[in-house]
Amino acid sequence: MTETLTSDLRNAITGWFIPFRYNIERWAYALQRITGIGVTAYFLAHIVETGNVVGGISVWNTPSESFARDIWTATFQFLDNPLFDIGLVVIGFMLAYHTINGIRLTLTEFGLLQGKPARPDFPYQPKSFTKSQRAIFWFSILFATATAVYAMTIFFGV
Amino acid sequence: MRESTRMLFHYITGLGIVIVGGIHLFTVFLMGSYLQNLAFIGGPYSVIAIYKTAIFAVTLELLLIFVDYHALNGIRVILIEFHQGKGWERGVSWILAILGVVLLVYGTRTILIANAITI
Repeated sequence: MTETLTSDLRNAITGWFIPFRYNIERWAYALQRITGIGVTAYFLAHIVETGNVVGGISVWNTPSESFARDIWTATFQFLDNPLFDIGLVVIGFMLAYHTINGIRLTLTEFGLLQGKPARPDFPYQPKSFTKSQRAIFWFSILFATATAVYAMTIFFGV
Repeated sequence: MRESTRMLFHYITGLGIVIVGGIHLFTVFLMGSYLQNLAFIGGPYSVIAIYKTAIFAVTLELLLIFVDYHALNGIRVILIEFHQGKGWERGVSWILAILGVVLLVYGTRTILIANAITI
Protein backbone atom coordinates (compact mmCIF):
# COMPACT_ATOMS: atom_id res chain seq x y z
CA MET A 1 0.00 0.00 0.00
CA THR A 2 1.99 2.94 -1.23
CA GLU A 3 -0.83 5.46 -1.13
CA THR A 4 -2.89 6.30 1.91
CA LEU A 5 -6.66 6.19 1.93
CA THR A 6 -6.78 9.99 2.21
CA SER A 7 -4.85 10.57 -1.00
CA ASP A 8 -6.92 7.81 -2.65
CA LEU A 9 -10.04 9.70 -1.62
CA ARG A 10 -8.70 12.97 -3.01
CA ASN A 11 -7.72 11.29 -6.28
CA ALA A 12 -11.10 9.61 -6.52
CA ILE A 13 -13.10 12.79 -5.98
CA THR A 14 -11.06 14.93 -8.36
CA GLY A 15 -10.78 12.10 -10.87
CA TRP A 16 -14.39 10.99 -10.88
CA PHE A 17 -16.49 13.97 -10.00
CA ILE A 18 -14.74 16.94 -11.62
CA PRO A 19 -15.20 16.26 -15.33
CA PHE A 20 -14.24 19.75 -16.54
CA ARG A 21 -11.47 19.95 -19.18
CA TYR A 22 -12.48 16.51 -20.44
CA ASN A 23 -14.88 15.53 -23.19
CA ILE A 24 -18.57 14.80 -22.80
CA GLU A 25 -18.05 11.07 -22.28
CA ARG A 26 -16.37 11.96 -18.98
CA TRP A 27 -19.49 13.89 -17.98
CA ALA A 28 -21.62 10.85 -18.78
CA TYR A 29 -19.32 8.74 -16.58
CA ALA A 30 -19.36 11.18 -13.64
CA LEU A 31 -23.13 11.54 -13.81
CA GLN A 32 -23.62 7.76 -14.03
CA ARG A 33 -21.55 7.32 -10.87
CA ILE A 34 -23.23 10.16 -8.94
CA THR A 35 -26.73 9.04 -9.93
CA GLY A 36 -25.87 5.43 -9.06
CA ILE A 37 -24.87 6.45 -5.53
CA GLY A 38 -27.98 8.64 -5.24
CA VAL A 39 -30.37 5.92 -6.34
CA THR A 40 -28.66 3.41 -4.01
CA ALA A 41 -29.25 5.80 -1.11
CA TYR A 42 -32.90 6.03 -2.15
CA PHE A 43 -33.13 2.22 -2.37
CA LEU A 44 -31.88 1.84 1.22
CA ALA A 45 -34.32 4.48 2.45
CA HIS A 46 -37.17 2.90 0.47
CA ILE A 47 -36.55 -0.52 2.06
CA VAL A 48 -36.73 1.06 5.52
CA GLU A 49 -39.78 3.18 4.61
CA THR A 50 -41.82 0.34 3.10
CA GLY A 51 -40.83 -1.84 6.06
CA ASN A 52 -42.34 0.77 8.36
CA VAL A 53 -45.61 0.69 6.43
CA VAL A 54 -46.20 -2.89 7.55
CA GLY A 55 -45.07 -2.37 11.13
CA GLY A 56 -41.32 -1.76 11.34
CA ILE A 57 -38.38 -3.98 12.22
CA SER A 58 -39.78 -5.45 15.44
CA VAL A 59 -42.70 -7.11 13.66
CA TRP A 60 -42.06 -10.57 12.18
CA ASN A 61 -45.61 -11.81 11.76
CA THR A 62 -48.76 -10.18 10.44
CA PRO A 63 -49.57 -7.11 12.55
CA SER A 64 -53.07 -5.89 13.23
CA GLU A 65 -54.21 -3.16 10.89
CA SER A 66 -54.44 -0.54 13.63
CA PHE A 67 -50.89 -1.28 14.80
CA ALA A 68 -49.54 -0.95 11.25
CA ARG A 69 -51.59 2.20 10.73
CA ASP A 70 -50.07 3.83 13.83
CA ILE A 71 -46.51 3.11 12.72
CA TRP A 72 -47.36 4.22 9.20
CA THR A 73 -48.79 7.50 10.47
CA ALA A 74 -45.55 8.22 12.34
CA THR A 75 -43.51 7.45 9.18
CA PHE A 76 -45.81 9.58 7.07
CA GLN A 77 -45.62 12.56 9.40
CA PHE A 78 -41.83 12.34 9.19
CA LEU A 79 -41.92 12.13 5.37
CA ASP A 80 -44.52 14.90 4.94
CA ASN A 81 -41.90 17.54 4.31
CA PRO A 82 -41.13 19.61 1.16
CA LEU A 83 -37.47 18.63 1.49
CA PHE A 84 -38.34 14.99 0.81
CA ASP A 85 -40.52 16.05 -2.13
CA ILE A 86 -37.56 17.93 -3.61
CA GLY A 87 -35.48 14.84 -2.90
CA LEU A 88 -37.90 12.67 -4.87
CA VAL A 89 -37.76 15.09 -7.83
CA VAL A 90 -33.95 14.77 -7.79
CA ILE A 91 -34.22 10.97 -7.45
CA GLY A 92 -36.59 10.94 -10.43
CA PHE A 93 -34.00 12.80 -12.49
CA MET A 94 -31.23 10.47 -11.32
CA LEU A 95 -33.22 7.29 -11.96
CA ALA A 96 -34.24 8.36 -15.48
CA TYR A 97 -30.69 9.40 -16.39
CA HIS A 98 -29.13 6.25 -14.93
CA THR A 99 -31.60 4.05 -16.82
CA ILE A 100 -31.09 5.52 -20.30
CA ASN A 101 -27.34 6.05 -19.93
CA GLY A 102 -27.12 2.53 -18.47
CA ILE A 103 -28.74 1.15 -21.62
CA ARG A 104 -26.07 3.01 -23.62
CA LEU A 105 -23.35 1.44 -21.44
CA THR A 106 -24.89 -2.01 -21.86
CA LEU A 107 -24.83 -1.60 -25.65
CA THR A 108 -21.18 -0.52 -25.34
CA GLU A 109 -20.35 -3.51 -23.12
CA PHE A 110 -21.60 -5.88 -25.81
CA GLY A 111 -19.71 -4.03 -28.54
CA LEU A 112 -22.59 -2.21 -30.20
CA LEU A 113 -22.50 1.39 -31.51
CA GLN A 114 -18.73 1.45 -31.05
CA GLY A 115 -17.54 2.94 -34.32
CA LYS A 116 -14.40 1.88 -36.16
CA PRO A 117 -10.96 2.01 -34.54
CA ALA A 118 -8.80 4.78 -36.01
CA ARG A 119 -5.65 6.78 -35.32
CA PRO A 120 -6.31 9.50 -32.72
CA ASP A 121 -5.89 12.89 -34.37
CA PHE A 122 -6.30 16.44 -33.18
CA PRO A 123 -8.69 17.48 -31.58
CA TYR A 124 -8.71 13.96 -30.13
CA GLN A 125 -12.42 13.29 -30.13
CA PRO A 126 -13.03 9.84 -28.66
CA LYS A 127 -13.79 7.47 -31.55
CA SER A 128 -15.89 5.25 -29.32
CA PHE A 129 -18.32 8.02 -28.39
CA THR A 130 -20.10 7.85 -31.74
CA LYS A 131 -22.97 9.98 -33.01
CA SER A 132 -25.56 7.43 -31.90
CA GLN A 133 -23.93 7.22 -28.46
CA ARG A 134 -24.05 11.01 -28.18
CA ALA A 135 -27.69 10.92 -29.23
CA ILE A 136 -28.52 8.41 -26.46
CA PHE A 137 -26.59 10.51 -23.93
CA TRP A 138 -28.49 13.69 -24.80
CA PHE A 139 -31.75 11.75 -24.84
CA SER A 140 -30.99 10.53 -21.32
CA ILE A 141 -30.52 14.15 -20.17
CA LEU A 142 -33.76 15.17 -21.90
CA PHE A 143 -35.69 12.20 -20.48
CA ALA A 144 -34.35 12.86 -16.98
CA THR A 145 -35.37 16.52 -17.19
CA ALA A 146 -38.85 15.54 -18.37
CA THR A 147 -39.13 13.09 -15.45
CA ALA A 148 -38.10 15.80 -12.99
CA VAL A 149 -40.67 18.20 -14.45
CA TYR A 150 -43.37 15.51 -14.22
CA ALA A 151 -42.42 14.82 -10.59
CA MET A 152 -42.61 18.54 -9.85
CA THR A 153 -46.13 18.75 -11.29
CA ILE A 154 -47.15 15.93 -8.94
CA PHE A 155 -45.56 17.29 -5.76
CA PHE A 156 -45.89 21.03 -6.25
CA GLY A 157 -48.57 21.35 -8.92
CA VAL A 158 -46.29 23.56 -11.03
CA MET B 1 -16.74 -15.55 -8.98
CA ARG B 2 -14.75 -13.90 -11.74
CA GLU B 3 -14.98 -10.15 -12.15
CA SER B 4 -16.34 -10.55 -15.70
CA THR B 5 -19.14 -12.81 -14.40
CA ARG B 6 -20.04 -10.27 -11.73
CA MET B 7 -20.22 -7.53 -14.35
CA LEU B 8 -22.30 -9.74 -16.66
CA PHE B 9 -24.79 -10.13 -13.80
CA HIS B 10 -24.58 -6.35 -13.33
CA TYR B 11 -25.77 -5.77 -16.90
CA ILE B 12 -28.39 -8.54 -16.76
CA THR B 13 -29.88 -7.19 -13.51
CA GLY B 14 -29.74 -3.68 -14.99
CA LEU B 15 -31.89 -4.74 -17.95
CA GLY B 16 -34.12 -6.71 -15.57
CA ILE B 17 -34.66 -3.54 -13.52
CA VAL B 18 -35.75 -1.68 -16.66
CA ILE B 19 -38.53 -4.28 -17.08
CA VAL B 20 -39.73 -4.99 -13.53
CA GLY B 21 -38.96 -1.43 -12.41
CA GLY B 22 -41.13 -0.28 -15.30
CA ILE B 23 -43.92 -2.49 -13.99
CA HIS B 24 -43.38 -1.04 -10.51
CA LEU B 25 -43.71 2.54 -11.78
CA PHE B 26 -46.70 1.52 -13.89
CA THR B 27 -48.52 0.12 -10.84
CA VAL B 28 -47.71 3.18 -8.75
CA PHE B 29 -48.62 5.82 -11.34
CA LEU B 30 -51.27 4.22 -13.50
CA MET B 31 -53.13 1.76 -11.25
CA GLY B 32 -55.38 3.61 -8.88
CA SER B 33 -54.88 7.18 -7.80
CA TYR B 34 -51.22 8.15 -7.95
CA LEU B 35 -51.97 10.93 -5.49
CA GLN B 36 -52.91 8.23 -3.01
CA ASN B 37 -49.95 6.09 -4.00
CA LEU B 38 -47.35 8.85 -3.88
CA ALA B 39 -48.68 11.54 -1.58
CA PHE B 40 -50.59 8.96 0.51
CA ILE B 41 -53.82 10.90 0.50
CA GLY B 42 -56.15 8.42 2.19
CA GLY B 43 -53.33 6.22 3.47
CA PRO B 44 -50.71 3.97 1.92
CA TYR B 45 -53.00 0.99 1.58
CA SER B 46 -53.78 1.34 -2.12
CA VAL B 47 -50.18 0.28 -2.85
CA ILE B 48 -50.54 -2.73 -0.56
CA ALA B 49 -53.82 -3.61 -2.28
CA ILE B 50 -52.10 -3.73 -5.68
CA TYR B 51 -49.33 -5.96 -4.41
CA LYS B 52 -51.77 -8.47 -2.96
CA THR B 53 -52.08 -9.77 -6.53
CA ALA B 54 -49.59 -12.67 -6.69
CA ILE B 55 -48.09 -11.76 -10.08
CA PHE B 56 -47.32 -8.21 -8.93
CA ALA B 57 -45.86 -9.51 -5.67
CA VAL B 58 -43.53 -11.71 -7.73
CA THR B 59 -42.41 -8.76 -9.89
CA LEU B 60 -41.80 -6.77 -6.71
CA GLU B 61 -39.65 -9.56 -5.26
CA LEU B 62 -37.72 -9.74 -8.56
CA LEU B 63 -37.22 -5.98 -8.46
CA LEU B 64 -35.88 -6.29 -4.91
CA ILE B 65 -33.40 -9.01 -5.93
CA PHE B 66 -32.23 -7.16 -9.06
CA VAL B 67 -31.83 -3.76 -7.39
CA ASP B 68 -30.16 -5.34 -4.37
CA TYR B 69 -27.49 -6.95 -6.55
CA HIS B 70 -27.13 -4.05 -8.99
CA ALA B 71 -26.85 -1.33 -6.33
CA LEU B 72 -24.42 -3.15 -4.05
CA ASN B 73 -22.27 -4.42 -6.93
CA GLY B 74 -22.15 -0.83 -8.19
CA ILE B 75 -20.95 0.36 -4.79
CA ARG B 76 -18.38 -2.49 -4.78
CA VAL B 77 -17.05 -1.39 -8.18
CA ILE B 78 -16.74 2.20 -6.95
CA LEU B 79 -14.96 1.14 -3.75
CA ILE B 80 -12.43 -1.13 -5.45
CA GLU B 81 -11.72 1.53 -8.04
CA PHE B 82 -11.21 3.98 -5.18
CA HIS B 83 -8.59 1.83 -3.45
CA GLN B 84 -6.74 -1.37 -4.38
CA GLY B 85 -5.40 -4.20 -2.27
CA LYS B 86 -6.31 -7.80 -1.63
CA GLY B 87 -7.55 -7.25 1.94
CA TRP B 88 -9.56 -4.19 0.98
CA GLU B 89 -11.22 -5.90 -1.97
CA ARG B 90 -12.14 -9.02 0.03
CA GLY B 91 -13.38 -6.94 2.97
CA VAL B 92 -15.51 -4.70 0.75
CA SER B 93 -16.97 -7.68 -1.09
CA TRP B 94 -17.88 -9.54 2.11
CA ILE B 95 -19.37 -6.55 3.93
CA LEU B 96 -21.49 -5.63 0.90
CA ALA B 97 -22.56 -9.26 0.40
CA ILE B 98 -23.75 -9.46 4.02
CA LEU B 99 -25.52 -6.09 3.69
CA GLY B 100 -27.17 -7.39 0.52
CA VAL B 101 -28.50 -10.49 2.29
CA VAL B 102 -29.83 -8.37 5.17
CA LEU B 103 -31.64 -6.03 2.74
CA LEU B 104 -33.03 -8.99 0.81
CA VAL B 105 -34.39 -10.64 3.96
CA TYR B 106 -35.89 -7.41 5.29
CA GLY B 107 -37.44 -6.46 1.94
CA THR B 108 -38.87 -9.96 1.45
CA ARG B 109 -40.33 -9.75 4.94
CA THR B 110 -42.08 -6.50 3.93
CA ILE B 111 -43.53 -8.11 0.80
CA LEU B 112 -44.75 -11.19 2.70
CA ILE B 113 -46.35 -9.18 5.52
CA ALA B 114 -47.96 -6.79 3.04
CA ASN B 115 -49.45 -9.83 1.35
CA ALA B 116 -50.82 -11.23 4.60
CA ILE B 117 -52.05 -7.96 6.13
CA THR B 118 -55.83 -7.46 6.34
CA ILE B 119 -56.97 -4.16 4.89
